[in-house]
Amino acid sequence: MISCKYDVVIVGSGASGGAMAYTLCKAGYKVAVLEKGRLINRDEFSKDELAYARRDIVTPNLFDEYHIIEEKIDGKWKITPTYDSGWSFWNGNIIGGSSNFMSGMLHRMHPDDFRLKSKYGEIDGANVEDWVISYNEMEPYYTLAEELVGISGKYKKHPFEPPRSTTDFTQPPTKENAVVKLFDKSCENLNTIPLVTPRAVLSKDKKDRSACYYSNFCGSYGCSSGAKGSSREAFLKPALTTGNLTLMSNTHVKSLHTSKKDEVDYAVVVDTITGKERQIKAKMFVVSAQAHESVRLLLNSANKYHPNGLANSSGELGKNLIFSAGGSGQGVLRKESLKEIPFKDLMQTGLFINRSILDWYFIDHWWDGKFKGGMVEFMFEHQNIISRAVKNSNEDGKLVWGKALGDRLVKRFTEGKSIRFEIFNDWLPTDNCFVSLDKTHKDKYGMPVGKLRLQAHPHDLKVGKYIAKKCEKILEEMGAEDIYSSISSTPPQNLVAGGCRFGNDPQKYVLNKYCQAHDIPNLFVADASFMPTGGSVPYTWTIYANALRVADYMVKILEKNKYKCFL
Amino acid sequence: MKRRNFLILGSILGLSPYIEAKELSDFEKSFKKVKPTISAVQEHMFPKGSKIPSASSMNVTQFLFETITHKSYDKDIRAFVLEGAEELMSREKGLFISMSSKEKEKALREYEETHYGSNWLSRIMTLTMEALFSDPLYGSNVRESGWKALSSYGGMPRPSSRYIEL
Repeated sequence: MISCKYDVVIVGSGASGGAMAYTLCKAGYKVAVLEKGRLINRDEFSKDELAYARRDIVTPNLFDEYHIIEEKIDGKWKITPTYDSGWSFWNGNIIGGSSNFMSGMLHRMHPDDFRLKSKYGEIDGANVEDWVISYNEMEPYYTLAEELVGISGKYKKHPFEPPRSTTDFTQPPTKENAVVKLFDKSCENLNTIPLVTPRAVLSKDKKDRSACYYSNFCGSYGCSSGAKGSSREAFLKPALTTGNLTLMSNTHVKSLHTSKKDEVDYAVVVDTITGKERQIKAKMFVVSAQAHESVRLLLNSANKYHPNGLANSSGELGKNLIFSAGGSGQGVLRKESLKEIPFKDLMQTGLFINRSILDWYFIDHWWDGKFKGGMVEFMFEHQNIISRAVKNSNEDGKLVWGKALGDRLVKRFTEGKSIRFEIFNDWLPTDNCFVSLDKTHKDKYGMPVGKLRLQAHPHDLKVGKYIAKKCEKILEEMGAEDIYSSISSTPPQNLVAGGCRFGNDPQKYVLNKYCQAHDIPNLFVADASFMPTGGSVPYTWTIYANALRVADYMVKILEKNKYKCFL
Repeated sequence: MKRRNFLILGSILGLSPYIEAKELSDFEKSFKKVKPTISAVQEHMFPKGSKIPSASSMNVTQFLFETITHKSYDKDIRAFVLEGAEELMSREKGLFISMSSKEKEKALREYEETHYGSNWLSRIMTLTMEALFSDPLYGSNVRESGWKALSSYGGMPRPSSRYIEL
């Protein structure tokens, strides 16, 4: 066993890195979390739209660090560097990662999501696999994450709501806009069941975190009260209080080093400010850099023992990258045609809609057929002022300017409000969605950049469109106007998983059931990379829960090895 | 679509040297030459007497300069802002700023007919809206008059420094 300062080094401080650090530090182990980004403290998070929502302030400059995107255009695979397209695949590179900027609408995966292949069979062209664990094994960790993150909500029985080991959420739902009265009634008229959205936002104070103050600017922004259950608030700060956590910001990991076949002995890191390189040793290593970047790190760590990258004896590393499929839509509720509630109540800012629909999670219909569907979130259109203004400066492909622009914007902002829906359905894993290393492009640290081949399965679009039609009907029933939806095969870069699938067979899977590399016992991958399928919900709750599960297992290994340790 | 292509293709003048400008002062000198044209376009798009604040009352051209020269701004687009203004000047033989409102409208709508001109005008529109509706800390949206016009206000807490420069 290696003699070193840290029991565990964790690469990445986002949802999984934070949850891992929490458990390990609480158990008394010395942990170093390495984060390439900087630290922004709670009281330094403002609602600066220009900085947070319109510039790459919390992500790398795309001319310094980028990805190569490969898409099929007119029947041919074509590559575009993201510095050319502006399509960034970075998601919040600061302490706490992209969890700082989430909207926090979280759901557990359904038990059948863990056995999709068994339940729904194979789909041509898709590499669907059952998970190696069941919902029952994950449930205690969903519950633990719910408590630690402080997920607010209200349980209501529903055929597709996953079972719970506790009766209800400890945090009641966040406050709701009066429009939910209209929404709920409209759903009722359509025999649809509206559910309160579980949200990683505190409705009540929790230790040193204050309850939500309804700033009106939640998603895309850091939280200045600590209400949002980011990795930074829910896990890293409590982990720091143990005295066992060393949090290293501005520390980019270039590669992991192995001196022998079955053990990582140190991380090669570069200080992003001084450019100095050094080595950080540990007994165990956890990679949690977000799926596509975790794969890149393992591929970039290839050496004579592992010529195809670490943990890649199966040749499966990077394959079956998945995203969240679906799309979105919206409609406008206008002053002159608003039903049920006073217009001034609709225009009250800050309060949430807090409604999701699970009715189409599984479809079994005499006409439509039997297939896995998805989940829908309803929310107000994001309140960003600049982006809403820019969006409304166009008519029939021409810019609107002059006094007509003033009239248009004032009417749009003061005489109506848009309701939006977002659909989440499975992005089926295929042979044409994976991460590899680009052979020519390198980042500013001299390391090959990740090359992402992206293609959606046609089935994903079919499911998304099916659900979108149902959602449009709800908006119609509410009296909304200008309703539209857009179901796209373009992947949302912030909802990424897969690439390091877990499973029992070392010849077929990168990781075992505890997200431990089959090839290298002291290496774990704890972000969403392990997921063979992603369910039809945002990944964050599952990432938190799984990281807590994996960390429990690591504690057991560390406990066992303590007696053998030469530290 | 490749971003550089849409910035460059269609420009009569082609790729200008601005993209290679190493010193900020060089860029500033170049900007001064096109500044009256950019201001005139902004003032035409956001005139006095509208329900939203006018460009002339909101320091929008200074905002535009400070924005595109900030390190967070894409260096290709920074050059494009200048090139597009030069192209407009060239198309209108240097007369744009002295045109009547009606003539400016005709010139800009004709420019908008070109792919390049349409992209440039969109960029000026976006930069001017960023001025009017960003936090007053950035030097425009004076006394929050952009926000007041739309009855929509930035969230709390407000930024205490530009671009989170802590």
